[in-house]
Amino acid sequence: MEKLDEILRTAVDLAAAAPAWLGDRRRAAAAVVEEGRLPTTSDEAWKYTSLKDISDQPYRLATAADALGFAEIDLTHFEHAGSDGPFAVIVNGHLRADLSRLDNLPSGVTLRTLASLSEAELGPLVSTLDGVESAAFSALNLATFGDGLLLDVADGASATNPIALIFVADGQAPLLSAPRIVINAGRNSSVRVIEQYLSVAGNCGLTNCVTNIELAEGACVYHHRLQDEAETSAHIGRIDAKVSSNANLHSDSVAFGGRLTRVDIEVALAGRGARCRLNGLFATHGEQHIDHHTTVDHLVGDTHSEELYRGILDGHSRGVFNGKVIVHRDAQQISARQASNNLLLSRQAEIDTKPELEIYADDVTCAHGATVGNLDEGALFYLRSRGIGNAEARALLTYAFAEQVIESIPLDSVRRAIEQRFIGHTDMSTLAQGIQP
Amino acid sequence: MLEIRNLHAEVDGNEILRGINLDIAPGETHAIMGPNGSGKSTLSHVLAGRDGYTVTAGTVHFNGKSLLELEPEERAGEGIFLAFQYPVEIAGVNNVYMLKAALNGVRAYRGEAELGAVDFLKLVKSRVKAVGLDESLLNRPVNEGFSGGEKKRNEVFQMSVLEPRLAILDETDSGLDIDALKAVAEGVNALRDAERSFIVVTHYQRLLDYIVPDHIHVLSKGRIIKSGGKELAHELEARGYDWLTSEAAA
Repeated sequence: MEKLDEILRTAVDLAAAAPAWLGDRRRAAAAVVEEGRLPTTSDEAWKYTSLKDISDQPYRLATAADALGFAEIDLTHFEHAGSDGPFAVIVNGHLRADLSRLDNLPSGVTLRTLASLSEAELGPLVSTLDGVESAAFSALNLATFGDGLLLDVADGASATNPIALIFVADGQAPLLSAPRIVINAGRNSSVRVIEQYLSVAGNCGLTNCVTNIELAEGACVYHHRLQDEAETSAHIGRIDAKVSSNANLHSDSVAFGGRLTRVDIEVALAGRGARCRLNGLFATHGEQHIDHHTTVDHLVGDTHSEELYRGILDGHSRGVFNGKVIVHRDAQQISARQASNNLLLSRQAEIDTKPELEIYADDVTCAHGATVGNLDEGALFYLRSRGIGNAEARALLTYAFAEQVIESIPLDSVRRAIEQRFIGHTDMSTLAQGIQP
Repeated sequence: MLEIRNLHAEVDGNEILRGINLDIAPGETHAIMGPNGSGKSTLSHVLAGRDGYTVTAGTVHFNGKSLLELEPEERAGEGIFLAFQYPVEIAGVNNVYMLKAALNGVRAYRGEAELGAVDFLKLVKSRVKAVGLDESLLNRPVNEGFSGGEKKRNEVFQMSVLEPRLAILDETDSGLDIDALKAVAEGVNALRDAERSFIVVTHYQRLLDYIVPDHIHVLSKGRIIKSGGKELAHELEARGYDWLTSEAAA
C-alpha cells in the first residue's frame, strides 16, 4: 500500500489516544505491518490474489464522523433482519445506535461496543487479539480498528432469534473501515449471528474486518456471513474461531459482492467432540475476484469437520479456494470431509482451487475433492427439448448447482434472502417468480 | 405433418444419415427399426435439434414449417417431444418445477397464457395417475435416483402433460423388464389419437407388440432400406436384419 505509511501514522495517533495498554497493542500491531508490509503474489497464501488495486488506492482511515453521512438504511436487502429481530448497523466501522434496534436482544445476550468496555472487560479479549497478529491484515485491523462489537452469550442461554450485524460501507472517497467483532458463546449456549456487509452504490472503500468467535464447552454458534458490497469496493475479512469440547460451529460464507474479496476462515477444533461445518457459496461476474482461504485445525482427537464450497464464475471473473485441514499428531479418530465444486459459465472465467491436507495422525477419516466444470450440455438439451428457453435452462441449472449449498443453510429467512440475492446477482430474472412450484 | 426429404447429417465429420425420406400424417405411428449404428438415434436427435449434429443436405418440414432452423425449445413449442433413451438426471432441479417451466415455455411460444399454480397441479395430479408414476417422485430432483423404469415412466408422464403433436420415443424399451415395458406402452397408447403422431425408434420388435405401429421402416447405414406394415416387425424378428442389409447392398 503506497499510502500505507499514512495509514500507519494515523494508527500511531490512535495508539497515543488510547489507554496505555491498548496503545501498546496498537503500536506493536502497526510495527508488524510496517515491517512485513502487505503480502504479494510471491507469498504462497496470496499467490492468486493480487493486492495491487488496493495498494494503488489512497485510503484514509474512517473516523466516527464518517459514519454520520448515512441518513437511513434500506431494509429491503436484509429482510432476514425481519420485522422483529434485533440488528446493529455499523457504518464505516462505527456503530450507529440510532439506526439499530437492540432493545430486543434475546435474553442472556448482550451487545456492547468495544469502546464502551472497561479495561477489566476488554483485558481478556486482548489475549484473543494476540494470536492473529502475524497475518498482515489482522495486525492492520488491530492497529486501526475504530470500534468493534462484543456479543456475549451467557452460559446456557438459547437465542433462537438471529442477531444481525449489518456493516455498511458509505462514501465515494476511498475510506478504510476496520470493524472488529468478538462473539463469546458461553457453555451450552446457542446463538445465531448474521454478519452482512453492504455498501452504498459507487463506494470504493476497503473493509478490513476481523471476527473472533469463541465457543465454550457445548456451545452452538450459527454464523452466517454475507459479503454483498458494491462491485467497486474491496473487502478483506477474517474469522478466527475456537471450538471447545462438544461445541459446534456452523459457518456460512456467501460472497457475491466486491471488486476484490478475500475471506480467511480459521477454525481451531480445540476440545474432544468439537465440530464445525463450513459452507461457502460465491458467484462472480465481470471483473470480480473472490478468494476464500479456510483452515480447520484438528488439535485433538474426536473432532469433526465438514466443508462444502461452491463457486459460480462468469465473465472475466476469478475465484480462489484454498482449504487447509491440519490433523495434529495424537489427534486420533477425527473425521474431515471437504469438497470444492466450481462452475465456469464463461471461457474467460478462472478458478484456482486447492485442498491442502496436513495429517500427522494415523487413525483418521479424511476425504477431499475439487471439481471444475461447465454446465452439463446433456442436461441443457434435455430442458430445452422440453420447451424451456436457453437462458432459463442455463439459469435453472446454475441455480441447481448453488441450491445444494443454499439448502444446507439452517435458517429459513437467511436461506430465502440468499436465494433471492443469488437470483438477482446472477441475472436470473426468469426464475424470480419462485423457485418452488 | 412431418416431411423429411433427402436428409443427410454428420457427427464429428462422419456421415451418419445419408438421405432419409419419410412422411408422417397426423395420427400415424411409425416405427424406425434397424441394427446398432444404423442412425436411429441420430435421426431422433436431429429432429429434436441437439447440438453436435450437422445437417449437410435435405429438409425437414413440420406442419409446413422448416424445422431445422428452429431451436430445440422452439421445436417443443411447435409440438415435438423427444422421449430420451437415457433420461438425464438433474440434481437440484425439482421434477414438477421443471415441468411447469416447460409447459409455460411451450404455452408462451404458442401465445397462450401461463397456467396458474392451481390448474397446473390439477393437471399434474390427473396425468400422474394416468401413467402410474409414483407421486412421491414428483418433488424429487429430475430423474435423480430413479430406477430405469421410473425414468421412462417419467418421460411418458412429461409427454402426457406437454401433449405434443409428434412424440419421438428413442429406444424407450431399452433396459426395461417386461412389466415396465407394458406399463410404459400403456401410457403411450393412452395418448394416441387421430391427431397425434408417434415415431417409435427401437432395435427390437418386442416393444411393437405393445405399441402397434401403422408403418415400419428399416434403417441401415443412414438410409431407409425397407418400409412396410406392422407385419414387417415379425419378419425381422424371425429373420434378423442381415437379409435386408445384404439385399440393400446388392
